[in-house]
Amino acid sequence: MKYFRNLIIIIVSIYVITLGFVFVDVGDTRPLVSLFKKLQSDSALKVVDFSVDKETSSKSKPAPNLNRNPYYGDLHVHTKYSFDAYVFGVTASPDDAYRYAKGEGIKHPLGYEMKLREPLDFYSVTDHGFYMGMIQAYADTTTDISQNDFAEPFHNLNRLENLTVESAGQRSNIFSSVLAGTVTQPYPDWHPKIIKAYLTRNTQNALKSFDYDIHKSAWADIARSANEHNDPGHFTAFIGYEFTTSTNIEGGNLHRNVIFESSKASIRPWTRIDSINPEDLWTWQDKLRDKGIDTISMPHNSNGSNGQMFEMETFYGNAITNDYAEKRMRNEPIVEITQVKGTSETHPLLSPDDEWADFEIMDVRVGSRPPTYSKPSGSYVREAYLNGLTMEFTRQGNPYKFGLIGSSDTHTGGGAFEESNYWSKVGLLDGDPENRGSVPLAEENIERLDEYMRAFNQPISTVNLDQGEYANTGFTQWGASGLAAVWAEENTRESIFNAFRRKETFATTGSRIAVRFFAGYDLSSINLNSDSVISEAYEKGVTMGSDLLQDNDKIPEFIVWAQKDKNGAPLQRVQIIKGWIDVNSGRPKEKVFDVVCSDGLEPDPITNRCPDNGAKVNINDCSITKNVGSSELKTTWKDPEFVNVDKSFYYVRVLENPTCRWSTWDAIKAGYKPREDLHETIQERAWSSPIWYIPDESDVDVIPLGGTVSLRDLN
Amino acid sequence: MKHKLLIFFLVGFLIYLIDIGLNSYDEKEIYISDQEIISLVTAWKSQVGRNPNDDEITRIINNLVEEEILYREALLLGLEKEDRIIKRRLAQKISFLKQESIPKAPTYNDLSNYYNNNKDKYFIDPKYTFTHYFFSSDNDSNKRSKEAFSNIYLNFEIESDPFFLGKNFVDITKRDIESDFGNNFSNHFDSIELDKWLGPFRSAFGHHIIYVTSYQEGFYPDINKVLKKVEVDFMLYQKDIALEKYLNEIKSEYKIYINPDLQI
Repeated sequence: MKYFRNLIIIIVSIYVITLGFVFVDVGDTRPLVSLFKKLQSDSALKVVDFSVDKETSSKSKPAPNLNRNPYYGDLHVHTKYSFDAYVFGVTASPDDAYRYAKGEGIKHPLGYEMKLREPLDFYSVTDHGFYMGMIQAYADTTTDISQNDFAEPFHNLNRLENLTVESAGQRSNIFSSVLAGTVTQPYPDWHPKIIKAYLTRNTQNALKSFDYDIHKSAWADIARSANEHNDPGHFTAFIGYEFTTSTNIEGGNLHRNVIFESSKASIRPWTRIDSINPEDLWTWQDKLRDKGIDTISMPHNSNGSNGQMFEMETFYGNAITNDYAEKRMRNEPIVEITQVKGTSETHPLLSPDDEWADFEIMDVRVGSRPPTYSKPSGSYVREAYLNGLTMEFTRQGNPYKFGLIGSSDTHTGGGAFEESNYWSKVGLLDGDPENRGSVPLAEENIERLDEYMRAFNQPISTVNLDQGEYANTGFTQWGASGLAAVWAEENTRESIFNAFRRKETFATTGSRIAVRFFAGYDLSSINLNSDSVISEAYEKGVTMGSDLLQDNDKIPEFIVWAQKDKNGAPLQRVQIIKGWIDVNSGRPKEKVFDVVCSDGLEPDPITNRCPDNGAKVNINDCSITKNVGSSELKTTWKDPEFVNVDKSFYYVRVLENPTCRWSTWDAIKAGYKPREDLHETIQERAWSSPIWYIPDESDVDVIPLGGTVSLRDLN
Repeated sequence: MKHKLLIFFLVGFLIYLIDIGLNSYDEKEIYISDQEIISLVTAWKSQVGRNPNDDEITRIINNLVEEEILYREALLLGLEKEDRIIKRRLAQKISFLKQESIPKAPTYNDLSNYYNNNKDKYFIDPKYTFTHYFFSSDNDSNKRSKEAFSNIYLNFEIESDPFFLGKNFVDITKRDIESDFGNNFSNHFDSIELDKWLGPFRSAFGHHIIYVTSYQEGFYPDINKVLKKVEVDFMLYQKDIALEKYLNEIKSEYKIYINPDLQI
């Protein structure tokens, strides 16, 4: 008995002493914990060369162009390997997606063909890293993992006979509720898998619903496919994935796409299971870079972030510092400003004086059910640029000095970029006009939709309008957008990736508008009608994505030159959007200048607006006024309100003449009038990355009322 | 006499009963071939990236058995009739069957024959190097380009506009020309004369007067440089013609009736 008591005392003491050691704190570190950490290896830092054996292309590589060519691409594409795409009925593989980019037709889950009018120059399949490849394994009823209760709703989900519009309700339910429950079941603490997960720093392995082999083989297939389709000089394919993270309580969208520069990549994607904090993603990217693997990450859908994508504080609410700003910019030099789920340039509440601010606004948090409002402030690019200047002004560094691209975020392998040929992005859920709310529901579909929406946790399933009951699926706020564009010497991974790093990029809403933008102090000496405009501009100035440093009291001059999409509508106007910090008041300000108008019209010097060029859209057949608008617009521009001590940025917005929106095309094709509560027309557009004007010295030290006192100082 | 007839019927009935008994006994037997299991395991492996463990193999087999049972029960109820998915699946199956009846791996001879018959697929496009004068459609391009063209060999300064994508194009293919100029612009390069001003030609952006300085003939690459691609294409082609041949043979045996007055 005594022996037994002693044993218990010994066990308890060992336990207490061990705990004590673990938590003992010497000089802000815990020695025992760091000892344990020494045992860890980081599975996410293992590098694999995924390159494939293939015949060298017999096509010769075109010579590089020193004045650079515009290349168009899509850096945001999902295939069957994404947990949600698979639930949406998508069976397209990465190979299918790359074939689509090169101009071949592939099948939509509803059976019709998707095909580009013109092939793209570069592409990246970016499936969700989180649970990559797993859903397919749940659906296959022969895998070990499919035998668990959580996998049951996924069984045989995408067999041919299950690919129907009628299955949308079940699919939505799986998407909104089942998935969330599935992933949060770890093994019990004593389980060997938990120890293994700890030692390899691979938290995924601690989850019952996860199979690392399946996950790795999906990632390897994605990387193989990119390497196989990459064709230097003709077509560029980047290995990539989506880091699908969000804030915990509010569900603010913090999604980013990560792309790799070369044929090498980590053995697995770093995902939200590793950490939901984007700062940890950047740490991982930094470590990979030390091993010679360069990557960039690109935030998207800031519009659905509830103000959290571009906050003026860190993820945990601390102040932004120079280190934070540098780290963020080193890892995410560009941002996706437009895609299917809306455009994130600015919001009417943030830019009340910008008549074009109300453009393809999606005002809910990404994936929120029931739909929940996303706060505009902190969610849009233009305000982020301004806040970046403010933080630079207060010597915290500028974490928001990024360039711009667009992309589609299609989940079917192929993006829909034309308003007149639109299939949205989530496969069976929005692949037909009734479900996406552009034409009234047939009588027999109203009840089905009601079930569908209940499953989707959306209280109101339909809206009653003039022409009947419309689906209230929220897809009406989505659109046929967008493309990433770069200025690069040649169509190779290296050249295009360097353009991302330089931020010599622009974004379009799907149209192949092209835009040049330069700033300098002697650009007015360049004759815009000479053939050497571009080479002279590169020589005398800086281009989009760059800094223009103060040169005493000289006033910057800008050259902007835009060309229309050869298959699209003519151009209406080119604008320069200026944002700055007024050094006297410390206030952020913004202004939109029309700098060149179509048809030889001149901007009004007081309002800075072009007169109406008279272009109209016939809503009955979507035809547009002929012979109005320009095929190209160019000018040299000087800021009439320039103040040389104000930190400023300037970016270009190019606007096409109005054309029908996809919802109008859907309605007309089905014999209806356009739905009255949606915009009938749209102005396709392009945005350049900004040029930042950097004054010599205008930063301030912020001194809080009462000053700053730290206890250490007192000691 | 009457008895004989009765015996005849009784014996007949007995044979009928035995027949039912034997047959129904047959219908409750399920044979699963090694081949079937091996092929499922192979598919599983290629999907998941490793060999299934014992439990998983058991499940693969159980699944197969259960599927077979449900299938037979469904057939008994006649559920296969007038089901479009089943029809499509069967049609697909026979297509695969006909496509897959390819005897053996192709020989070099097969490939070289195929290559010679489909040379155009492997054709390396011609390349053009040219310079041009551009006249923007925003600025009366039709008239200005014609005037410029008529004066082009005189020593006048040509007042043209700079073209957005540049003045000189080096070694570009017709597809690139199409992508840069639009509107079937590359058709003008079909019968091009070198070292001579030509035009004006209309593009999506205005008019152009072009001067081609060099033209690199398109060519057919040596088959050995594209052998892998030829092999893949050849196999696909074999599948297509197998099905087509079969369909053509069988189509003539059918009479097809479609209501000519159907309104859609």
